Amino acid sequence: MKYIQLHKSPLFLKIIFVISVAIIFFIGGITFKHITVLKKSSAFVSNSHEVNAELERLISYIKDAETGQRGYLLSNDKTFLTPYHNSKGLVRKSFKRVSRLTAHSRTQQSNLKKLLYFINKRQNYLSKSLYMIEQGKYDQNILKNNLIIGKQTMDSIRYKVEDMMITQQKLLKNRQKEYELTMNYTPLLIYLTLITTLILITIAFIKMNRDLVLLKITINTLSVANEASNLAEIVGGFGSWQLNFETNTYTFSDNEYRLLGCEPQSFVASLEAYLNFIHPEDLEYVIENTKSILTDNDLAPFTYRIIRKDGEIRHFRTLGRTVTIASGDKTFIGTTSDVTEEVYAQKFIEDRNRELESNNKELTAFNYIASHDLQEPLRKIETFLSRLVSKDYDNLSKAGQQYVSSIQSSANRMRILIQDLLQFSRTNKAEKVFEEADLNSLLENSKQELAQIIEEKKAVIENNELPILNVIPFQIQQLFTNLISNSLKYSKEDATPIIKINCSTIVANEEEILPNNNTKYHKITVADNGIGFEQEYAKKIFILFNRLHNKNEYEGTGIGLAICKKIVENHKGFIFAKGTANEGATFTIYLPA
Amino acid sequence: MTTDFINICLADDDEDDRLFFTDAFDELKINTKVSTFNDGVELMDYLNHEDSVLPNVLFLDLNMPKKNGVECLLEIKKNEKLSDIAIAIYSTSSSEEHIEETFINGANIYIKKPNDFEDLKKILSEVVTINWQYHTSGLNKDNFLMRM
Repeated sequence: MKYIQLHKSPLFLKIIFVISVAIIFFIGGITFKHITVLKKSSAFVSNSHEVNAELERLISYIKDAETGQRGYLLSNDKTFLTPYHNSKGLVRKSFKRVSRLTAHSRTQQSNLKKLLYFINKRQNYLSKSLYMIEQGKYDQNILKNNLIIGKQTMDSIRYKVEDMMITQQKLLKNRQKEYELTMNYTPLLIYLTLITTLILITIAFIKMNRDLVLLKITINTLSVANEASNLAEIVGGFGSWQLNFETNTYTFSDNEYRLLGCEPQSFVASLEAYLNFIHPEDLEYVIENTKSILTDNDLAPFTYRIIRKDGEIRHFRTLGRTVTIASGDKTFIGTTSDVTEEVYAQKFIEDRNRELESNNKELTAFNYIASHDLQEPLRKIETFLSRLVSKDYDNLSKAGQQYVSSIQSSANRMRILIQDLLQFSRTNKAEKVFEEADLNSLLENSKQELAQIIEEKKAVIENNELPILNVIPFQIQQLFTNLISNSLKYSKEDATPIIKINCSTIVANEEEILPNNNTKYHKITVADNGIGFEQEYAKKIFILFNRLHNKNEYEGTGIGLAICKKIVENHKGFIFAKGTANEGATFTIYLPA
Repeated sequence: MTTDFINICLADDDEDDRLFFTDAFDELKINTKVSTFNDGVELMDYLNHEDSVLPNVLFLDLNMPKKNGVECLLEIKKNEKLSDIAIAIYSTSSSEEHIEETFINGANIYIKKPNDFEDLKKILSEVVTINWQYHTSGLNKDNFLMRM
């Protein structure tokens, strides 16, 4: 991941920084040393030049004294003696300067000593000669000899000075050679280290640049993610909070504040501040629940109540877990959602369910008791009628007898209605015990039940092999009975009723009429050759009390097929009817395999 | 107590049903002595009385005030002195729960009150002439409910 690269960068940059600083120090040191050498070297050069100049000057002062004396001797004019008199002090000063300038060299010092000896000797002879001339009585030979020695001394001085100059030159050369040696490799070294530093700095720059780009991208991504999360919090009605384990400080998202009915970041986030909002009755529960943050690094979802700033009570759900962020630090991230609507909706549904359940129970009980209790007076009517018929029938008028038989048939019809209703309500009741049953034997039972009417109508019932299924046996038997008796009831007067029962296994999506999935079903068809019905009534016939025929033509209560539908629904199956008027009807049942 | 009479008791709160019941036996010409009680309490008072003649067959309606048929049945079966009486449940209801409950608690036969007086006579004559010892030994849930 990108941010991992980024967080390793500082180490790399630190190394480069340390190396660069070391190199700069190194270069600084070398440069300093070399500048010192250069300074010394140039100081030595100028010192040598000064020594040379001073030596020249020294000679010229001595020469001046000589020239002045010579001028005096020739012209006897005393003004020529001024340079001679001055020269003594000048020579002394000059000599002192030379001596100071060459203080560092022993050779020059010993040379100077010799030079001083010659200078003194020369001056002695000069003053001796001058003295002789001033006295006016001098031997020409002695003077001449004096002058010759003076000239010889002068030559020695000149040689000595030249010698000193040469020595100085030599010293200079040696020095320079020595310095050059150190200076020669300096530029190369500086250049090389400089290049290295430059390369390192360039690498650092590239790296930093790349990191900056990465950082920019990361910041962009983060800010988008942040915005998205803010928006998601507002839309989703939840807030988030963080607990930094290192600093033990909390951070709440803007929406967390909004959920509490406060302005975003309007107070300092802390556990205590949050607990202040919690409903006093739930406080202990919340504290107990949040303990797991420290022990399990996890917070299982739990729901509690809070009191918002405006006093409204809301239901919150909180959950969270510890995450390790990029730097390796651990942070606990939690989310809080306002589930008030959910809680109310849930409560509403629960209440509604309870209400429905009790309504349903009441209805079933009512239905059952009503039809059950209705039987009692009816039974008495019938019993009294039967007694009337058996005892007093003959005493009745013809009309009276007719009335009695009408009452009997009405009572009979009422009994059938009540029985069917009872059957219907019983199908509804919770006695849904599923057990494995052989549908073939259930069909046989049905045929037995209807044996009398089958016999009367001379009906033919054919069936192929039916499966063994997990069903409510008495209901399936009822289903067969109702369907067969329905077919027999609506059979044609002039033809033998033939009822064909077929069974096959199908997959739901093969049948247009079933949901499009892969569930397997047993498809059982009950087809007859009776009077049939118009296809448009195919759905209506399953509705309770719905009849397609006048009750004088065909007796029936309109309950039988409604019971069939109920039974099939109890088995999570489907039932459909298909009819053609005057040709017959086919009932198709799908039971899950 | 004479062996010529079959002693029959009926506990039923419905006056008409008691009338049908006694009339049926009157017309049946079987040597029977029929006593009727208006509710379970009356019946149990009679049965628990020392001087009472115990019936050969007891017909019990289920839905009665004060003490219903099932309560009576339980009390009779618990009482050693009474537990040998053949008990026929005589009810309007033919619900599975009632049949099951009374069968389990030791009733001998279950009769659904018929709609026809002739049918009633037929059923009653059959019931009182049953060899109870034989019937009880082969008793099962299938022949428990008396079918016409």
